Amino acid sequence: MSTPPVLSVRVRKRLPGFELDVAFDAPRGITVLFGGSGAGKSLTLRTIAGLERPDDGRITVAGETVFDGAERRWVPPHRRPLGVVFQQPALFPHLTVGENVLFGVRIPKGERERRLQEVMTLLGLQGLERRPPRSLSGGQQQRVALARALVRRPPVLLLDEPFSALDEALRRTLREELLRITRELGLAVVFVTHSLREAHLLADSLVVLEGGRVLQAGAAATVFRRPKSARVARLLGWTNLWQGRVVRAAGSECVVAVGGRRLAVRTDGELPAEGSAVTVGIRSERVIVHRGEVAAPGPNQFEARLVELLRYGSTATLRLRPPENDLPIEVELGARALEVLRVGERTSWLVELPAEDLLLMPPGPQ
Amino acid sequence: MSFAEVDWAVFRISFQVAGVATVLCVLAGVPLAWAIARTRRVVVHALTAAALLPLVLPPTAVGYYLLQGLGRGSAVGRFLEDELGLRLVFTWPGMAIAAAVVSFPLFVRTAVAGFEQIEPELLEVASVLVGPWRRFFRVVIPMAWPSLTAAALLAFARSLGEFGATTIVGANIPGRTATLPGAIYQAVLAGDRALADTLAVLSLATGSVVLLALGVLFAQVRRRRW
Repeated sequence: MSTPPVLSVRVRKRLPGFELDVAFDAPRGITVLFGGSGAGKSLTLRTIAGLERPDDGRITVAGETVFDGAERRWVPPHRRPLGVVFQQPALFPHLTVGENVLFGVRIPKGERERRLQEVMTLLGLQGLERRPPRSLSGGQQQRVALARALVRRPPVLLLDEPFSALDEALRRTLREELLRITRELGLAVVFVTHSLREAHLLADSLVVLEGGRVLQAGAAATVFRRPKSARVARLLGWTNLWQGRVVRAAGSECVVAVGGRRLAVRTDGELPAEGSAVTVGIRSERVIVHRGEVAAPGPNQFEARLVELLRYGSTATLRLRPPENDLPIEVELGARALEVLRVGERTSWLVELPAEDLLLMPPGPQ
Repeated sequence: MSFAEVDWAVFRISFQVAGVATVLCVLAGVPLAWAIARTRRVVVHALTAAALLPLVLPPTAVGYYLLQGLGRGSAVGRFLEDELGLRLVFTWPGMAIAAAVVSFPLFVRTAVAGFEQIEPELLEVASVLVGPWRRFFRVVIPMAWPSLTAAALLAFARSLGEFGATTIVGANIPGRTATLPGAIYQAVLAGDRALADTLAVLSLATGSVVLLALGVLFAQVRRRRW
């Protein structure tokens, strides 16, 4: 992470049947807390907001320690320099939109109106100040919730699946606006989601959680490209993961035996010892399929037969198997590529796994 | 029916008793109802049970305990009378306390229901934005407002009709502690059918007005889905 952290979190909390033990830093930009349900994402966010009290640890926000277990320091939620938005807009029904946005803001009376207009403009809500919240659409309501969180100009914004309850089109617009606002205001945003798409679009930093622990944290591009374990890879949507053994390791390349096959893997990281067990993986969109016209088969090319084709609209997933049945492969293709290759008309394909796209990970549970 | 015979002081006393009893219910009941709606602590459960006790006790028993507790026979009663000059037994303020105790369960139950209707998400958002006091007065109270008004009105109506507890504490002294229900009792004892009829009709009218107001309020609570 290039910039210094705006938010630093180290918390432990024991609950019946669950233990949260997480540590991560969030710099400016969007830090996505990613994981399945029950991973502890929301609980982590709630401890930062001050809605849950950790048993131990330390949380600092913009240089201020808001929780310290050892020093018994506890700053109540409303005094923390944070904005919070949940999945539901939770607007106060007895107040107008404008009153909701300015709720609890302590600034001189003359400045209130100016501040309100500023944030309403930022979120495209001009003219709705006097409306009751119930008269707004779901998307507008969530914008008001964002405005209410931003009007105090907090350095850190906490968002707990804020767009999950909205329809797809609205979700897209709001995600894009969040990107814009984050940059415009120079915010550090912690964004909880279980959606990979959302994580891909938004994350500058990525924290992968499972069972109350951080599995991996770092710059999003790095974590997506180089998950450090098969568990992380699986959570991040890697479907091609095979167990193998290193046959040869020299320079920046090694050869891994997977089933009866030998795969060349190029790596810029540490080379594993010869003879050691590894997991080899490749993202499904990195696999190349040829119509079988390649004259001289390379090291990582082999014949495979299409066993299943799943169309998702803009993309499609191809499930392929080599005749030896030792290396089941998933390939993701764009709709256009699917058409050009006339995938539906053909069962026999030549699959290529580019050596630089294959990743070695410690041998892991399948 | 004859209105000439009616001692209109009974209305003044009835409304004084019921009004002060309602205020007492609000002051003690709102914090307790909020605590009951919010916490799951054992102490609160015990308090809930204690607050509901008058619901299952005969009002005369409540009145008897208050007579014991507030009279000169008890330390509290002596302290109130000697140090503060506050005499509660055989006075209308004492009756207001009796009426408040009897109406308290109705108030608390209705208020708790009102508080429990507030979505927890709203309370969480509020606690991120403001401290607990402002949250209570600017979110909790306004949102529970129709229920709280209904609770107060119920307590008022119940206090207005209370006879057992108030009579034991106040002794039904004409012109001083005799309320509308007390006056009816007195008229029936004295065999004055005409007066009893008049007073009963007036009770009916008062009760109907209160019920009408309650009906409007509860309809508002139900409609208030925002």
